[in-house]
Amino acid sequence: MIILLVIFAILGNGANLLIPKIISRGIDDYTSRHYVLNKIAIEFLAATFIIFVFSYLQNIIQTYTSERVARDLREQLSNKISQQSFTFIQESNPSKLLTNMTSDIDSVKMFVSQAVSSITSSIFIILGTTIILLTIDWELALTVICIIPIIAVMFFIVLKKVRLLFKKSREVIDWLNKVINESILGAAVIRVINSQQIEYQKFLAANTEAKNLGISILTLFATLIPVITLVSNLATLSILALGGHFVINGRISLGDFAAFNSYVTILIFPIIIIGFMSNVIAQATASYQRIERVLKAQDIIEAGTIVKPLKGNINLRGISLLYDGKPILKNVSINIKAGSRTAIIGPTAAGKSQLLYLLTGLIKQNSGTIEFDGQNIDDYKQDSFHKQVGFVFQDSILFNMSLRENIAFSNIVTDESLKKSLETSELNEFVELLPQKLNSIVSERGSSLSGGQKQRIMLARALALNPKILLLDDFTARVDSQTEEKILNNVNKNYPGITLISVTQKIAPVENYDQVILLMEGEVIAAGNHKKLLNNCPEYIQIYNSQRSTSHYEL
Amino acid sequence: MNYNLNILSEDTAKKKSTFAAVKSLVSYVVEEKKILFLAFFAMIISAIFSLLSPVIIGHVIDKYIQSKQFHGVLIYSGILLGMYLISFIAGYLQTKLMGTVGQNMLFSLRNAVFNKLQDLPVDFFNQNKAGDLISRINNDTDKINQFFSQSLMQFLRFILIMIGAGIFLLSINFQLGSAALSPALIIWLFTTTISKWVKRKNQINLKSTGNLSASVQESLNNFKVIIAFNRRDYFRKKFSEANQNNYLTSIKAGLANNLYMPVYGFFSNIGQLIVLTFGIYLISKNIFSIGLLISFLAYITSFYNPLRQLASLWANFQVALAGWDRISQIMDLDNNMPIIEDNSHNKSDSIIIFKNVFFTYPNGNEVLHNINFKLDRGKTYAFVGPTGGGKTTTASLIARLYDPNKGKVLLEGKDIRSFSREQRTKKIGFILQEPFLFTGNVRENILYGNPDYKNYNNEQLYEEILNSGLKSLIERFESGLDTKVQTSGEVISLGQKQLIAFMRAILRKPDLLILDEATANIDTVTELLLENILNKLPSSSTKVIIAHRLNTIENADEIYFVNSGEVTPAGSLNDAMNMLMKDKRVS
Repeated sequence: MIILLVIFAILGNGANLLIPKIISRGIDDYTSRHYVLNKIAIEFLAATFIIFVFSYLQNIIQTYTSERVARDLREQLSNKISQQSFTFIQESNPSKLLTNMTSDIDSVKMFVSQAVSSITSSIFIILGTTIILLTIDWELALTVICIIPIIAVMFFIVLKKVRLLFKKSREVIDWLNKVINESILGAAVIRVINSQQIEYQKFLAANTEAKNLGISILTLFATLIPVITLVSNLATLSILALGGHFVINGRISLGDFAAFNSYVTILIFPIIIIGFMSNVIAQATASYQRIERVLKAQDIIEAGTIVKPLKGNINLRGISLLYDGKPILKNVSINIKAGSRTAIIGPTAAGKSQLLYLLTGLIKQNSGTIEFDGQNIDDYKQDSFHKQVGFVFQDSILFNMSLRENIAFSNIVTDESLKKSLETSELNEFVELLPQKLNSIVSERGSSLSGGQKQRIMLARALALNPKILLLDDFTARVDSQTEEKILNNVNKNYPGITLISVTQKIAPVENYDQVILLMEGEVIAAGNHKKLLNNCPEYIQIYNSQRSTSHYEL
Repeated sequence: MNYNLNILSEDTAKKKSTFAAVKSLVSYVVEEKKILFLAFFAMIISAIFSLLSPVIIGHVIDKYIQSKQFHGVLIYSGILLGMYLISFIAGYLQTKLMGTVGQNMLFSLRNAVFNKLQDLPVDFFNQNKAGDLISRINNDTDKINQFFSQSLMQFLRFILIMIGAGIFLLSINFQLGSAALSPALIIWLFTTTISKWVKRKNQINLKSTGNLSASVQESLNNFKVIIAFNRRDYFRKKFSEANQNNYLTSIKAGLANNLYMPVYGFFSNIGQLIVLTFGIYLISKNIFSIGLLISFLAYITSFYNPLRQLASLWANFQVALAGWDRISQIMDLDNNMPIIEDNSHNKSDSIIIFKNVFFTYPNGNEVLHNINFKLDRGKTYAFVGPTGGGKTTTASLIARLYDPNKGKVLLEGKDIRSFSREQRTKKIGFILQEPFLFTGNVRENILYGNPDYKNYNNEQLYEEILNSGLKSLIERFESGLDTKVQTSGEVISLGQKQLIAFMRAILRKPDLLILDEATANIDTVTELLLENILNKLPSSSTKVIIAHRLNTIENADEIYFVNSGEVTPAGSLNDAMNMLMKDKRVS
């Protein structure tokens, strides 16, 4: 493609170079009385036609190539990102990844579509013109050509400075994205608090920075471009003075002189183009470096090979977890038997959610081991592991697609397992009321649904896997007690033998669980069944008492 | 009201003429008349000089070189040098000033769009995707900027040069001049014919770029689920579709944009041919000289070269117009929740009254049906009922996140719509079901939008926190007020986010505080603390509590049962329980 592009560019521009030559011959022929109109006109038309055809071909190929490059780069980026761990996404910041996939790729595309061909053809024109000039008169030609190195040095100096600025301006775009993003996701809070002005101030700060950077970049180019024009004008000037001198001496003909003049105009133009393109090049380089950083990220090596069905015995030994050097879990050891029900109870920020994240392999512990049926979690093949572990997140995460696709999110879901999961999550009634049933489209962030509905959809999504292990992260928080009880009974009935681990605040529903684990500030304070904890754990008793006053209503 | 930009786009976009679009765009630039004028002046100087230089060269050839007077050549070279130096300065000024105007315009345009977004109601955000909006604010405004800062000055310069060159051509020899310019007419016809089509192609392309951005945004924000359900392929597939679609629309737009260049080039060359053949014919008739022909050829190049450049600029222009259309869609939206007049001097003891309120979401579900109730000052109300029953909707209407379709909500006896945003939000505090934090630290988040403590230092603030009874809550954060938080991040738990949202609302000391399952993910021991804190609020303040956990509502003065579009008073907690149970048994 690129080769074809260069060939077409060269052919089109080569033909362009012929035009002044034809004109100059016409003039010379006329002065020497050999003028034949037809011949000149035919040659001219032929050249014009060739230019037209090749420049259009060049444009077509240019479009195709640049778009293809952009598409493929995006595809590569998305493949790369999709391979990465959850931690990677958090650390590289979604706003930034979005810029990578949009604005950054655009700069690279611009480079391919505009810079590659125009620079090759510019260089070609410069070289071609130089040669033609040299053949006409080498002394005069050399005077003109000496402008090229001067311009090259200018470019070098400016480009070096501007690259840094471009990198910064990309970072400002990340920043703008972040502010816009937060103002959209937090739209409701902003309106409740009437803090539109504050958001505007934040935006203004980022936008001002963007403007200042833009102006700094601009100042550099505002200097570069007139300098180039000046230098090339000086070339025209030297032709007039020196060339005029040569014509007077009789060293060159008037036709040659005219041709020289035309060629200089042709020579200057690509130089100015390169000047403009240097902007594109600098921007593309800065962007590509950012893209490259993502592309070069380490792939997670899938080391696990075990694909056998899980029974559900889970064993955590000496688990410690740090976030930003802050201990979240401290030496946690837990034993869970297959088919048992375990509740994890504890105050806010005790590390309960993180514990569940570890069990799904979303994050990795800093020390200690996690075993499923006596095998390390890392030894399982991810694909088969995730199919057997259902996770209901605490925050509602919904996709802008149909309800059916949201629930049957994994590709192993069958009609039957979907039906069973809907029934278990007590969603049938809700779905029946929707005009389009399961085909109703859920809006982004699920804004058309109530908290409890979202929560149950999340549960159905996890159950649709027919999982061996079900992890519930504060599932009951937004569902009323009656529905909650029904749902939990349904789970027992429809998914016999499932291993259930439930992070929860409420004690009443878990009183008959096999095990209750009390987690506080990242440490296991107590583990045992409800009765046992009630006997020997003061912290548990405190929690129990905090809920007791209303417990008779929970029936 | 329909706020979905992608549905809106089809009908509004068509109505606007190019001229109207340009006019409204230009309104963002006029503030800088002075700079613009200066830039324009610099541009005229450099344009005039670059036009004059071929005349001078032609003159020198005819008068001095052909008659072999080198002295004259040198004098004129000196004059040219002076001109080149002046146009160097003019060139610098022009680029710098026009670029500054472009940057300033981009700056005000982005500000204006963002401001508009802030002005629109919650409904707008429910109906549009974050990624698409980001794409509009960033990408589309940038397309306009590219045209303004890089192309506009060239655009004007080229047009000036062309007009100048055209005048020179016609004045040197009218016959030859008009013959030489005739291809430009064809170019003009061609341009006007295809431009609309080109713009449409670009519009489709920008829309698909918006979709691409929305798809990336959604997937990245939901990455947890993608991993846990082992659907990395979903991310790839969804992206791949958007990507492929973007590729196809880009190619179509690109091919359309690239049509200008070769056609312009073709007719430019035809112009040259006309000059050459017709010119020589004229010389043979002794009406024209060789020197004039050479400068004529130079002029024809100065006429058609910029025209060729205009071709690519024109394509940029179409892209910019397409971008502008997408932005003006947002700018044209009106907030459907205006502040109205209510001159009635009704005073009421009730802080909130619902009068025959009906509410239906844009997707067509009627959620509230003829609701009537009163909330009195200083009392605590509990709203209970099954999920999806309309509790959050009722609360949202109290806080005027939406307006009722029918009926009225009265705040202190007056139509809630007659209060300014400041007045209303000062009176009503609303802790939303899903807490939201802004990237920053705990201090910034609990003081968010609260001017009262803005200038407090940390010690003074601690004092205030102690008074409000929030001390024990702050202590739950690793580094207290300075603990870092992030919008998307797992370091802060949902329960902690709720604590921050709670403190944020308490410190604002509202007359009416709504807690919409505001403590759902907080442990019950901490919840007791929150109850104490709520009790410390002034006795005149009203509380509305929505909760599933019954212990949080047992102290309520009154309980409302909310379900299937109705809000019914329940005498006691037991009554409410019975309603809840009965409802369950029926379904």
